[in-house]
Amino acid sequence: MECEQLAAFYEEYALGVLEGEERAEMEAHLARGCERCTAGATEARRVVSNLALAAPEAQLPSGLRGKIMEPVRLSAAARAGAPPVNTAAKREVFPAWAWIAAAALALITGYAIRQMGNQNSQLAALQKQMKLAIAQNVALQNQLDESRMVASVMLSPDSTALKLMPKDKNMPMVHAYLHPHMGVAITADQMPAMPSARTLQLWFMPKQGAPMSVAIFHPDANGVIALVAPVKMPVAEIAALAVTEEPAGGSPQPTSAPAWMAAMN
Amino acid sequence: MLLAVVQPWPEGKQPADGELMERVLRRDASALETLYDRYGRPVYSLVLRIAQQPASAEEIVQDVFLQLWKSADRFQASRGALAPWLFTMARNRALDFLRLKGEKQRRREDSQEDDFPEPAIARPDAEGAIDLSRRAEKVRALMSSLPDGQRKAIELAYFEGMSHSEIAASMGEPLGTVKSWIRGGLLRLRESLKEARS
Repeated sequence: MECEQLAAFYEEYALGVLEGEERAEMEAHLARGCERCTAGATEARRVVSNLALAAPEAQLPSGLRGKIMEPVRLSAAARAGAPPVNTAAKREVFPAWAWIAAAALALITGYAIRQMGNQNSQLAALQKQMKLAIAQNVALQNQLDESRMVASVMLSPDSTALKLMPKDKNMPMVHAYLHPHMGVAITADQMPAMPSARTLQLWFMPKQGAPMSVAIFHPDANGVIALVAPVKMPVAEIAALAVTEEPAGGSPQPTSAPAWMAAMN
Repeated sequence: MLLAVVQPWPEGKQPADGELMERVLRRDASALETLYDRYGRPVYSLVLRIAQQPASAEEIVQDVFLQLWKSADRFQASRGALAPWLFTMARNRALDFLRLKGEKQRRREDSQEDDFPEPAIARPDAEGAIDLSRRAEKVRALMSSLPDGQRKAIELAYFEGMSHSEIAASMGEPLGTVKSWIRGGLLRLRESLKEARS
């Protein structure tokens, strides 16, 4: 089909109702990078997303704001404390100041009293630093917990190790460790950075029925992937694992051919 | 340094979504809170409509906003507005939930009666999100004006993630009729939103 014919299907494609040949043609056409149709599909997605506003208005649960904002504030606080500090410079400055202050305290009591004000400020600053350090520690602890979960699944004798082979031979391999109860751990490194409008999505390809979305993820700044996602179907029913590249936010069903894939033995 | 980032905006002037997302990128928690105030209710309403379970809807919305915080760099204001991005992400997550829980099949069997619980009516926003409210009015007016069958077909597609043939099977209508209803409805939606913008 040409662009003119495909234009009639933009909204239906964005809605996710297209199937069969029409959907395949649209996907193949978009995958070829047609600028006109990509822009048309993006605009259609914007139009269709307005159907969200047709949902009956519901009252927000009272505790939801806190559940969202608490970890966000913690993460922001950890980030605020994160910039590297020139500790060497501090070490050079602090002893001089400390010795001067100590000498002044020893020599003049009045001066020492005045200095107490400064010390209180210092104490407050130290307390603030300590709070930030605690928040940072919590964030690091969360990362550590995730890493431990990944390691637990990887090392469990009940896990099945799978190598997801890349379609593009220049891409690194993705490793999966499938545990029937603990979840599926996904690891990879040296992954290239992804365009901001795209995401990676892991699917279970069942022996029967449609692919099941398992997780949406991106490589971190170092090109590393390490995550654990729940296994919400019997392992015996999984025929293969696949990773596809999808628009940001993920897709209800794969919209592109798997970029990585591994069949279950 | 943090104080320099967390600047309140002048009274009566709400920051644009793109500006808030830039602040989210700089790890400004108050910017995310403003986005939650702006979009929390429509996103929750959408997810509740799809998932139909308040506890699950709450979890999904929490996940969506935390994802927005973690992956703010994935959003590029130059590529489009935030609302479609947010609604698409929320819809996909909620539809994933439906599939994972096997709720979809159960609800299709029970769909002879519309058993969706009537949600509590929310109070309107005190301020802000005017454009969103106007669009919501347009969309709701349009959906109410559609014949029952056409509206139902679009709802099954958007809120239940069904394809053309699944909708046809569910409604017991010819595939061609369903396609025509959906195409016509979406065309009217596009025109209606175009009028709202002009």
